[in-house]
Amino acid sequence: MLALLGATTLMLVAGAPWVLPAASGGTNLKSPENGSVCIIDDNFTLKWNSSSESVRNVTFSAEYKIPGMDNWKKLPGCQHITSTECNFSSVKLKNVYEKIELRIRAEKGNNTSQWHEVKPFIPFQKAQIGPPDVHLEAEDKAIIINMSPPGTKDSIMWAMDHSSFTYSLVIWKNSSSLEERTETVYSRDKIYKLSPETTYCLKVKAELRSPRRVGVYSPVYCINTTEKHKVPSPENIQIDAENQVYVLKWDYAYENTTFRAQWSHEFLKRIPGGHSDKWKQIPNCEDVETTHCVIPQNVFPEGIHRIRVQASNGNNTSFWSEEKMFNTEMKTIIFPPVISMKSVNDDSLHVSIGAPKESENKSVNQLYPLIYEVIFRENTSNAERKVVEKRTDFTFPNLKSLTVYCVKARALTENDKWNKSSVFSDTVCEKTKPGNTSKTWLIAGICTALFSIIVVIYVVKVLLRCINYVFFPSSKPPSTVDEYFSEQPVRNLLLSTSEEQTERCSIIENANSITVIEETNPIYEDPKKYNSQTSQDSGNYSNEDENSGSKIGEELLPQETV
Amino acid sequence: MSVDPDVIRKCMWPVCLMGLFVTGILSLDCNLLNVHLRRVTWHNLSLLSRMSKSFPIECLRESKAFELPQEILSDTQPLTRDIKEAFYEMSRQAFHIFIQDTFKSTWEEKHLRQVQIGLDQQLQYLEQCLEEEEEENEDMREMAEDEWTQSGAPVPQLSNLELRRYFNRIDRFLKDKKYSHCAWEIVRVEIRRCFYFFHKFTALLRRK
Repeated sequence: MLALLGATTLMLVAGAPWVLPAASGGTNLKSPENGSVCIIDDNFTLKWNSSSESVRNVTFSAEYKIPGMDNWKKLPGCQHITSTECNFSSVKLKNVYEKIELRIRAEKGNNTSQWHEVKPFIPFQKAQIGPPDVHLEAEDKAIIINMSPPGTKDSIMWAMDHSSFTYSLVIWKNSSSLEERTETVYSRDKIYKLSPETTYCLKVKAELRSPRRVGVYSPVYCINTTEKHKVPSPENIQIDAENQVYVLKWDYAYENTTFRAQWSHEFLKRIPGGHSDKWKQIPNCEDVETTHCVIPQNVFPEGIHRIRVQASNGNNTSFWSEEKMFNTEMKTIIFPPVISMKSVNDDSLHVSIGAPKESENKSVNQLYPLIYEVIFRENTSNAERKVVEKRTDFTFPNLKSLTVYCVKARALTENDKWNKSSVFSDTVCEKTKPGNTSKTWLIAGICTALFSIIVVIYVVKVLLRCINYVFFPSSKPPSTVDEYFSEQPVRNLLLSTSEEQTERCSIIENANSITVIEETNPIYEDPKKYNSQTSQDSGNYSNEDENSGSKIGEELLPQETV
Repeated sequence: MSVDPDVIRKCMWPVCLMGLFVTGILSLDCNLLNVHLRRVTWHNLSLLSRMSKSFPIECLRESKAFELPQEILSDTQPLTRDIKEAFYEMSRQAFHIFIQDTFKSTWEEKHLRQVQIGLDQQLQYLEQCLEEEEEENEDMREMAEDEWTQSGAPVPQLSNLELRRYFNRIDRFLKDKKYSHCAWEIVRVEIRRCFYFFHKFTALLRRK
């Protein structure tokens, strides 16, 4: 019983997969594979492969999801499609920079396959640039091109790139299919240097840069240039900055013509559409009869502009000349630098280049990088050495001593594309130091050494004296004692010494005998002894002559002590 | 503060003169790109500040956080090329915004023109230097070009995508608010903030 139950369950479980489809009444639909999206401008195409395509009545449907949506939504234009591709451009995506998820499945009746998910993508990243729309207008020696950017005017894909497109154009003469030239143009531009009455063909592709993306070429357009115009256009337009004005010049071979010049902002070229037609008349250059005109500097705001000139011969006017681009910055003047030089050794000179002097008007902050061209030569010779330096402090080594060298410099802009230079600075001359200076330095060094030795010895002497004074004092009394106690006996009385005093005494005359008495005793040590010894004598003395004896005695006493 | 526009104009000329001495587009040395960019960005920044006398208080209510993606430049060690491309993307999007001439009444045309000219100069700088770099990688580019036209566009830098999303938010804000005076003022302040942010990172260009 149990075994039967188990077996039935087992069969049911095993049989379930193929039982259920059988119940629904269809084959197992395979989901589509290899779903991919192709986007050109605003055209969104979804493609896929399916093995069940050949089976009849199989349709496909797709759904999409963008961030912010909880559920999958039906993809418009891709519902119940019989083929393996569909166009869902009608999805009005608000944001082409968001990731989109897509999924497709096959359907047959009520039967649906599993969803096949297409790899999520960001439409902007996948989009390809389509062909631009081209309008042409012919002149005798030029063709005016007017292009609309790829996509429609309210293109969602390129909404933020309208002004970023550049166009690469290939133009050739119809007669010879050799490709004549390729140019990068703006959306409204002119191709010059063509021959009149010739058929030219061209094709254009749009490009985006950074990161670089190249579009598809437009179809080929052909146009005939007109016959040569009666009134030719001015050529070779030049503009220069001088003092406080700009001087505009052009070439024109014919007489009796008046000219007018117009200008426009350069940045307008980037903007597609009619903006680039905003040309303004230049004052002082309207109906001029000469081939030049002078424009005050305040006519142009700072920046980059374009100028064009037209000739007029009574009733007829020429086509506009080639447009000349110019940068108002050309009027800046580079001032000459200030150079100074000094001799360092006997064989080299140090040069330093300083900021340019201020002009009368205003100090020009030369904020762009400059390099300096330095001309260096000996005063007596004409041989010049030219050095280009970026540093402002440098040295010329290995020169001859006691020679005069001269130097001058001028400033240049660092970039080759724009050659601007200042005038030369003043010439500065300097003499190198005399030679053998090393020997003199040696002698000086020795002298200094000797001198310093002497000084050292003296200092040491003083030190020793001090040391001696402190640690090994002498026995001389201080001088103050001498002052107050100049008499010898009192001094001897005041100061006690361990020195033994030796005194030689000699008796000049004695009744008894002439003897030499040597007495060595301090007064305090053996006064009695002394007295007893000499008492006889002193007694004798004193007996004979009391005053003298006592005197002598007294005199004797202090003399003993020193 | 009520300042006569004429006074502003008079004061702006010497300042512009000074600032724009630097911006010789045709004379650029790309090794010093950061020096020039720094000045041009700062110049454009100050132009944006001077466009309007003061921010109208009533517009504060409508202001919106556009979430400038600061992380794109605060990554450690971003490549010089990435920084240049980010700058270029920022410049051209800012240019795109300021050439829509639906603000005739908001600002004086002179000031607007100067901003447009300034932005164009910034673009020209970057284009010239990016072009030089591309020329160096010309061979690689030609090889890659064939692949691209077949398989679709290459994947742009992620940072550029973030920048695009940011500018897309600004663009949509303008459209939704129907290019009102307040909307323009808010956008002006936002782009000024963006320029300031980028100005700080011109220093990064020099280090590489």
